[in-house]
Amino acid sequence: MAKDSEKTIFTNKKDICILGSEKLGLSSTQEIPRKTFIGSIPTVQHAFLEVMDEEKKKINLGEDDVIIGRVPACDVQIMANNVSRRHARISYCNEEYRIEDLGSMNGIYVNGVKVEKCVLRKHDVLEIGGIKILFVEEKVRQDDDGK
Amino acid sequence: MFVTFWGTRGSVSTPGRITEKYGGNTPCVSVRCDETQLIFDAGTGIRNLGIELLEEIKREKDPRSLHLFLSHTHWDHIQGLPFFLPSYHKNTKLIIYGSHRKERFLASILKEQMDFDYFPVSMTSFAADISIKEMDDKVIQIGPLVIDWQEQVYHPGGSVRYKISVNGTKIVYATDVELNRIFDNLKDNEINESLARDYMDFIADADLLIADAQYTEEEYPEKIGWGHSSIPVLLDTSFRSNVKQLAVFHHDPQHSDKFLDDLWMENRSKYHADDRKMDVFWAREGMTLAI
Repeated sequence: MAKDSEKTIFTNKKDICILGSEKLGLSSTQEIPRKTFIGSIPTVQHAFLEVMDEEKKKINLGEDDVIIGRVPACDVQIMANNVSRRHARISYCNEEYRIEDLGSMNGIYVNGVKVEKCVLRKHDVLEIGGIKILFVEEKVRQDDDGK
Repeated sequence: MFVTFWGTRGSVSTPGRITEKYGGNTPCVSVRCDETQLIFDAGTGIRNLGIELLEEIKREKDPRSLHLFLSHTHWDHIQGLPFFLPSYHKNTKLIIYGSHRKERFLASILKEQMDFDYFPVSMTSFAADISIKEMDDKVIQIGPLVIDWQEQVYHPGGSVRYKISVNGTKIVYATDVELNRIFDNLKDNEINESLARDYMDFIADADLLIADAQYTEEEYPEKIGWGHSSIPVLLDTSFRSNVKQLAVFHHDPQHSDKFLDDLWMENRSKYHADDRKMDVFWAREGMTLAI
């Protein structure tokens, strides 16, 4: 078995092909030197709400509570008559987001089901006072500066 | 009443990416009405309920009463009990209810699950005040809630269904029963006719019915005798019984989130009449409804 400092090539004699200047079997396996193994890639949980209207406004979610309602003091203000002054809260707990009704007049719906509270999963469609909002959650690679 | 789904999966827990939406924990549902806390089944979902309850119990001066109603004692309905943290806290009073029709005492069945061969901690380690009651024929009143119950046949070993009522509002928890064996065999069958009447009377006008429909119509023929219903039979029977909201429950371990989403899409709008409709959804772990 030929071996140099960087790699070893196993060839299957029945199936030899030429790649560049090297002969390789179709089923050849190349050993990756340990020094090139990739460690864990730093990731961050990234979640946002996307209001499903023409504007498609995005609201990034972090670890702080987000209050949705009609009054300006809310983190997300929705100016619609069917939305209560303080309608719903989105909170982050045990590494997941959940929505909770704050005693609104018209309730909150998750994928069409009227709920009091609900843990959110990616691509859930929330409905607040007739306004549809998409919940998006994904893990993204963390930049070198920690963002 | 607030109803929370802590575990919706049938048969065996199914963690993983393809079940994270509807959840992989086995059956557990809590019903809360003011200070009264009822729990239905102690599948693996009860572990998360216990974590949440324990935080409250630790803050309270007086002992907290928790009423746990078991549909039956198959693994997926009791396996979470050894991991239910309030059981190990002296400020808890846990009353466990179940069928009296078992060949053995309910207490000994639950105790055996925590035998040293199966689990390192025995039931004697529970610090809570535990009582285990085999129900007699009477309805049970707990605080403002009235709990009616009936034995169900057509599940191996039997099971119990429960109805919780308060001020005219009704919630029914009726899992692990093979309704097909009743409703597909009614002709000239007095026993099944009687069972069908009992079932439909029990669930009639329920504001919420939580019920097992583990199999699709196509899957069911391979599962006859396994003790679970097919989707069309449950939905049709519920609609004819004037159920207002139906939570399909006890999801098959092989059914992924996408598969359940598709079933829901296919069935959610089917059950409408001119004067009424039945809201159908597939129960999902971590969801709380106000009924």
